[in-house]
Amino acid sequence: MVDIAPHAHQPVADGPRGKRPKPLFSLRNIVVYGTLLLVSAYYLVPLYVMIVTSLKTMEEVRLGNVFSFPRDITFAPWVKAWAEACTGLNCDGLSRGFANSVWILVPSVLLSIIVASVNGYALANWKFKGADIFFTILIFGAFIPYQVMLYPVVIVLRELGVYGTRTGLVIVHTIFGMPILTLLFRNYFTSVPEEIFKAARVDGAGFWTIFLKIMMPMSLPIFVVAVILQVTGIWNDFLFGVVYTKPDTYPMTVQLNNIVNSVQGTKEYNVNMAATILTGLVPLVVYFISGKLFVRGIAAGAVKG
Amino acid sequence: MADTTSSLSGTGSVPQTRDRTERRVLLSLVLAFVTWLIQAVGVGPVLNLLGQAVALGIENLFGWVHIRIPVLSAYQSLLDTATETLGFLRYLPWAALALAALFVGLLFRQGDGFRWAGNRLARKSVGWIVAAALLLLAMALSSLIDDYGKVGKVVAGFATRNGAFLAAFCLVAALALAVIGSSGILVTRAGALERVLVGNVTAKVAALPMILVAMGIFFGGTIWTIAYSFTNSKLLPKEHFVGFDQYARLWGEPRWMVSIENLAIYGVLSLIFQLVIGFLLAVLLDQKIRFENTFRTILLYPFALSFIVTGLVWQWILNPDFGVQHIVRSIGFESFVFDPIYDASIVIYGVLLAALWQGTGLVMCLMLAGLRGIDEDIWKAARIDGIPAWKTYLMIIVPMMRPVFITTLVIIAAGIVKVYDLIVAQTSGGPGIASEVPAKYVYDKMFLGQNLGQGFAASTMMLLSVLIVLIPWAYLEFGGKKRG
Repeated sequence: MVDIAPHAHQPVADGPRGKRPKPLFSLRNIVVYGTLLLVSAYYLVPLYVMIVTSLKTMEEVRLGNVFSFPRDITFAPWVKAWAEACTGLNCDGLSRGFANSVWILVPSVLLSIIVASVNGYALANWKFKGADIFFTILIFGAFIPYQVMLYPVVIVLRELGVYGTRTGLVIVHTIFGMPILTLLFRNYFTSVPEEIFKAARVDGAGFWTIFLKIMMPMSLPIFVVAVILQVTGIWNDFLFGVVYTKPDTYPMTVQLNNIVNSVQGTKEYNVNMAATILTGLVPLVVYFISGKLFVRGIAAGAVKG
Repeated sequence: MADTTSSLSGTGSVPQTRDRTERRVLLSLVLAFVTWLIQAVGVGPVLNLLGQAVALGIENLFGWVHIRIPVLSAYQSLLDTATETLGFLRYLPWAALALAALFVGLLFRQGDGFRWAGNRLARKSVGWIVAAALLLLAMALSSLIDDYGKVGKVVAGFATRNGAFLAAFCLVAALALAVIGSSGILVTRAGALERVLVGNVTAKVAALPMILVAMGIFFGGTIWTIAYSFTNSKLLPKEHFVGFDQYARLWGEPRWMVSIENLAIYGVLSLIFQLVIGFLLAVLLDQKIRFENTFRTILLYPFALSFIVTGLVWQWILNPDFGVQHIVRSIGFESFVFDPIYDASIVIYGVLLAALWQGTGLVMCLMLAGLRGIDEDIWKAARIDGIPAWKTYLMIIVPMMRPVFITTLVIIAAGIVKVYDLIVAQTSGGPGIASEVPAKYVYDKMFLGQNLGQGFAASTMMLLSVLIVLIPWAYLEFGGKKRG
């Protein structure tokens, strides 16, 4: 072959190549890393304080300050928070709230994702007249303060006979998770090349076949993102829990708040902090395992469609 | 995009006269359905309350310029005569349905007779007949279904009240489809009625949950709350119209004024600080540094925690006897005072501190995504021109990131109005009422104070404040795109 570009990969002149090496301790580096380390410390301090306090005995908490390291580590506060702490008449600790939260979380996540993914798919690939109007109302619903819709939902749940039950809360989470999840799925399905959809249509596949056999297997990442979004969102919810459930069926966050902010009895700060960590553990674990997908989830949920 | 009905082979289209008749059938069916829906859902009281409020509003508007017109009483007397004389309107759904049936007869005369064999819409027609049969079945068995818990009761009640009408509706639709299907013409483009009743029907059914939630909860619920904010509902919602009394009481309530003031301070400060700090952190992380992922993980983890956890941790850190104040005093500054939990004048800043810790990571992430979206060539051009980095950021990058800033602003603003859990956990609104916020006011009035009317009025004010932010944004974001 004729060599038409002989100088393509040759250096223009002899001498050192690549970027000029920068000194490790330049002023810029010190400022950048120094600031970041300082900010990181500010962000990590509350986590440290939580853990440290929960491992101290109550005498040590009273003597020392919140930042001091525990002299003799004890796990008794954790046991007490989990199994013995009192809210009102119930004295079985956070374990009850944990069970309730899990009972609420699993069906809510499944149901809301199934409903929202089908909705998003219908909106992206099978548009019908008027679909955009409903979708716009739905998206407005994500920004409207929930307080406006609290009582109408109470009426609906009461009519259905599920007000105050965990089933009722599952329905509520499905309803209020719909806007953001539908947006997420619609945007994802819209980005799937239309040719794939058309090819399936030509081959005679219908609405459900295309969804189950083509769209779903292609979009596993977005389903994972949706699961992360919903698990953290539903676990951290407080408002719906306190409005739509009763003391027996309170989710963990509501129970935690009742344990810590109860007026009766002496304040056991170490037990309170242990309970706080226990409640924050599930979303934290999800966050640290999911890593980049979590970021993608909040970015996808937040940025317009 | 996907039209299931136009896939038939052959040429020709529905003749114009028949298409016009199809349109008329469709229109009567829509009229029948809408009028039925209005009666079945019972929007009467809601519309009435809103109508009275509008009438009173107009009256007050004229009263301002000293013109006295009794608009409200005129409205009420008009309504009374209307309910007396227009009582026959409750037969409107049935009348519209009969009209639709009449037009189906016309369609039959304009076509080439009726045939079942080879009818191209036979299956769809049968589908509608099955729906009608199911409704009639539910009606017949309503006394049986009634026993199966409260859901059964709801279904049975619905079936007895509306089963007959809906079944008739389905039958008319089935008949219309059968008539259209028996026409000998091979169509490339279906008629109006066929497109609505047959086209894309699976997608419409699949989107039913979304339609129900959007219209029933988000739209209907909001309108319902607004309407009942004009009543004196206490423990249960009542339809007793009291004009704007609840709003007058609301704005005369010291606790509400404190809530609004707190929300304003908290809102403005957290908006500014989150945007500035979030942007600066994003710029720092964008300097091609080592351990970027580690730093980002640390800065974002509080966002995974709930507001309850956040509030409780900061309540503990800011505790005057053990936390920050205690430590600074023990170093030697004996007179140091920093108590944003029990000091009413600064308590809202303590909440702000916790909110910034929880939420800035999200803003940083959004900003970082925005920074990464900017073309590398811009940077090169700026460097060639010798512009210092800080100036490039301020004069070039920030203006380029306007959409990201606006979106972030809207997200933060929507979150600010909703702030509730953080206050409940960190201060419970205290000391006294020093850290109350509107969302807490609404909850307390609705579910603790048994004063629903006040709760509705307060939540309507919250809605209004969000719409003031939201509507200009939606206009810029979506209205602008259409023009461009």
